[in-house]
Parts: sequence; structure tokens; C-alpha cells
Amino acid sequence: MAVEAAPQSRGASIEIEHLDKYFGAVRAVDDVSLSIAAGEFIALLGPSGSGKSTILMSLAGFERPTGGRILIDGQDCTYLPPYKRNIGMVFQHYTLFPHLSVMDNVAFPLKMRGISKAERRRQAEAALETVRLAGYGQRMPKQLSGGQQQRVALARAIVYRPRVLLMDEPLSALDKNLREEMQLEIKRLHSELGLTVVFVTHDQSEALTMADRIAILKSGRLQQVSPARELYERPSNLFTASFIGEMNMLPAEWDGRTASLPGGGVMEVGAKSMIDPVGPGKSVLAIRPERLSIAAPDSAGSWPATVCDVIYAGAGTLVIAEMPGGTEVRVRLPSNAVGSLSRGEAIGLTCPPDAALLYSAEQAT
Amino acid sequence: MNARTLLLNAYVYAVLAFILVPILIILPMAFSETQYLTFPPQGFTLRWFEEFFNNRRWMDATWFSLRIAALTAVSTAIIGTMATYALVRGAGSLGTIFQALLIGPIVVPHIALAVALYLFFQQSGLSGTTIGYVLAHTIIALPFTVFTVSAALSSVDPALEDAAMSCGATRFTAFRLITLPIILPNVISGALFAFIISFDEPVIAFFLAGIRDKTLPRMMFDDIEQNLTPVIPAIAVLLTVLSISVLLGAAILRRIAARNAVTVDT
Repeated sequence: MAVEAAPQSRGASIEIEHLDKYFGAVRAVDDVSLSIAAGEFIALLGPSGSGKSTILMSLAGFERPTGGRILIDGQDCTYLPPYKRNIGMVFQHYTLFPHLSVMDNVAFPLKMRGISKAERRRQAEAALETVRLAGYGQRMPKQLSGGQQQRVALARAIVYRPRVLLMDEPLSALDKNLREEMQLEIKRLHSELGLTVVFVTHDQSEALTMADRIAILKSGRLQQVSPARELYERPSNLFTASFIGEMNMLPAEWDGRTASLPGGGVMEVGAKSMIDPVGPGKSVLAIRPERLSIAAPDSAGSWPATVCDVIYAGAGTLVIAEMPGGTEVRVRLPSNAVGSLSRGEAIGLTCPPDAALLYSAEQAT
Repeated sequence: MNARTLLLNAYVYAVLAFILVPILIILPMAFSETQYLTFPPQGFTLRWFEEFFNNRRWMDATWFSLRIAALTAVSTAIIGTMATYALVRGAGSLGTIFQALLIGPIVVPHIALAVALYLFFQQSGLSGTTIGYVLAHTIIALPFTVFTVSAALSSVDPALEDAAMSCGATRFTAFRLITLPIILPNVISGALFAFIISFDEPVIAFFLAGIRDKTLPRMMFDDIEQNLTPVIPAIAVLLTVLSISVLLGAAILRRIAARNAVTVDT
């Protein structure tokens, strides 16, 4: 039997309030506030140096924040040492204790909690079963594959039924197939055990598939916290827009009603296409490549462009075109919708009004 | 084989001979039947070993040396492991100074150290005492322990202790249950080195010797000035055998450690 799940949600809520962390003069975490609901699966996503790991390490108790507070289930644990937090943690490189058997590794947290030997064995065996490694207890970590080691690390992190599970890029050391398998495994564990998961990754597809909400970080600052769909469809600023998925960024002149593109293209922009109000002036039109389509040159409402390259990739085809002035535009179309296009051919680009988002160009730093 | 490699081989063997021949000459002399040191040895007897083991003065010196060596091994293992931990796991900017101080005794001639300790111990009454010897020998043996322990410690992932702490262990418990067992073979190996260094240490023993308590090397030196009996080579044989077996033990331990330390992230 798997670890018995309590009837109600077993996760703890986490409040991060105005968290700051300086390393010398470098501000690794810059005024980050984030509320995580009990039982939520949240991913911290960002490029390296964005502060995501520092936030996780502060939650775990390995980093002492310079400012701000961390509340777990309403209890202030900003400066509580790691061993008093009752948090499960999975590290990047498995970090199994090499001199202990798989069983002793998984039972280690129980030993630290003074649980009797027989009971330790029983619970560790149950946790190993939960990660589908029943019967592997007597092996040494070295005798297991990378994926199995990561499962043992997972079992060790959940064996004492923590209410929060922290994961620091736990899958980055695994190859692609194994990674996808483990993603599903972790999702399953999350719904089975109902604990709150904070998952750090730099892999956006991993974040999008796994998490209820994704927190985007850049240079220590929180950019956006949203469910995957909103993040993809309504990125709140230029950074998230370019960070998540593929995005065409077209420089435009915005006069309060229409945006004019270089080369004469014009687009009417409604209030729905702006996340934040944009004042007239230089701006950026952000459009996903799959929302653009190709029309005859000079057809009404289309923007002039020239085909640079056509890349056929089975179901989809990528057309790379250039607008007057040198702006590159990517168009992704279902392959059957692409007629014969040749390099240097003049085309028109069309875009439904709800597909474009307008951002002020001043943000682009 | 050309002339160049021939010359190189000759050179290497000459160096080896230079190092080994004195030992190979002294060892057989321990079994000579003659009353005084002779080479080549004549006949075969074990009576000089008997004489060593039956002589109260030799035995006292031996036990004194063994006690000092054992205490030095223990104190070096404890201090050396703690110091190495600090060095490898974050001494920060003080690390280099600290490291220089720790391995300094290798560079500083033992005679200089001995004179300094002599002056200091005379005043503080540590001269000739067990504590005095252990302190002095710990200083000179520490660098070797630091080397062997740091080799092991730097191959242990620091995240292991973090993992243990996230499992509910305090930092000290994490060290005791996780890091220490992994590096233990190297710690013991370092302690064995310290034991040998202390056991046949002559220079400091010469300066610090009291009137009654003398270490074995010091005793041998005193004896050789008065009677040139083959007891001295007999002791040399025993010391050599002891040294070789202890260092062999240390090498085996380090091999075990190297096998255990196969990195975690493979």
C-alpha cells in the first residue's frame, strides 16, 4: 500500500513576504512576495542567476534572507534552521548517502525523528513502494541507475510525510525520456499525497507541464506568477513574452489607436491587447508565430514581407520572413496550409486583432 | 634501448641504491653473533632482539614512544579533521593563511621548530613530558593528516550534508553520520602517518628529552655513543617492520576510501 493519504489536503501554505537576499553587493533576490496555497504545485522558472535557487534555499533554510519573511502555515520560519522545518527536499544530484543502503537512506529522516527500527523499516518500505522501487532496499545507491537514484531521493524526501516538498532542478541530470517519465511520476505523487510542491527549473516545458502556477524570475525579481495558459497567452511583460515559447517582437510606432510597423503595416490595437496601458510612442507588438498567417502580397490589411527561408518539419512548417527594415518574423503553419513558397518571394502577413499584444518599448531592457 | 634511456635507468637505480643500501646493510647486522657492529655479519642469532625485549631501559623508552605516538595519532586525527573541514568547506579569505600555517611545519626545518619549542617548553615546564612531546609531534604530523583528509573530503559532495539536514539532522549529526563515515579511512590513514612520524622522530626528541623519560630514537642515539652492540640494528629492524606495516595499512585504507568515494553523480 502507498503512504496513507489523509482525508483533507496535507499541504501547507507558504507566504513569502518581501524577500531580499544580498550576496555582497549583488542582490540575488529582490523584494519577492509570493503566496503559495496549500497543496499547490508551483514552479520557479528563470535563467541562471535569476534567484530561483536562492528563494528555494531560503525556503529550505540553507540561506538566511537579508530581509523579508517566510511563513509556512502561518508560522514564521525565516531564520529557522533546516532540520527544524519538516520540509522534504530533493536535490539536483540525487545526494543519496553513498555509504548507506537504499533502505537506510530512505529511513534516515525517520531515524532523525527517533522512530523505532521496525517502524522505520515499515515506513521506508512503503515510501519505496510509492516511488515504485519496492524490493530495492538492500541495494547500495551506486548499484542503481540515475532515474532510480532520483526516485530513492524522492522516497527519502516524502517518507516522513512533510507538508512541503522542495525540488531543486531534480530532473536536470536525467536524459530526456527518463525526465518525462519522472515528470509524470512527480505529478502523480503530488496528487496522491496532496503536499505543496515548490519546484525550481530552468526548463520551461517542464514548468508548463507540471505546475499549477509558474513564477517567472529575472535578476532576482518576480516577473509574473500565472497558470501555464495565461503565461503563454498573456505574458505580463516583454521579458516573460520572450522567455516563454517563441515570440515575434515587432518594433512599432503607437499613437494611441493604431500601431504602425516599419514598411507600412498598420494594426488597430484594442485595450484587450494591452496588459498594462501603453502611452503613445515607441512600442513593441508581440505575436506568437502560430497566430500569423500568410496571404497574397498587397492583400487588404496585410503587412508586406519577403520569404527568407521555409523549414519543413513534418506536421508543421516554419516560414522565416523579413519585413522592410530588416525585422525577422517567424510564422508557424500546419504544413498542409503552406502552398509553394520560395526564397525571395513577396508575401503579405496577416494577424487576427486578438493575437497581438502591445508593450511599451521602454520596458525592453 | 638508446644511450639516453640507458643513462636515465642507471641514474634511477643509483638513486634507489643510495636510499636503500644503508638499510640493507644495517638490517643483517642485527642477526650477527659478534659483540659489536660488524659487516658482513657473522653467524645468525636472535639474542640482540632478546636483549632489547629483556632490557628495562629499552622497554621503558619503547612504551614511552608508543604512548606519545598513539596520543599524537589521536590528537592529529581530531585536530587535522576539524581543520581540514574548515579549510575545504569554507574558510573564506582566511583559508590561504590558515592553510599556510597548517602546512608550514613541512617547510620550516624541524631543528628551528625544536629550538623554539625547547625555549618555550623550558619555561612552561613541558620539557620531557608526554604532553610536551604530543604537542610538538602533533605540529609536525598535522600537515600529513591534512593532506590525506582533504583528498577525501574534497571528493565528498557538500550537498550530502544539506540533504541530511533537510532530513532533520543537525549540522554536527550530518557530519557525524554522513561525512565522517565516508572519509574515515583517510582519517585513520592520516592518524597512522602521524603515529609513524611521532614514533621515529629524532630532532625534537633530542631537544625535549628529560633526564628520565626518553623516546626510543633518543635512547638509541645515547646508546650508540657508548656501546656499539647489534641491539641498535635489531631495533632498526623492528622499527622498519613496524613502519612498513603501518604505511601499508594506511595505503590499503586509502584504497578503500578511493573505492567508496566513487562520486555520487554518476
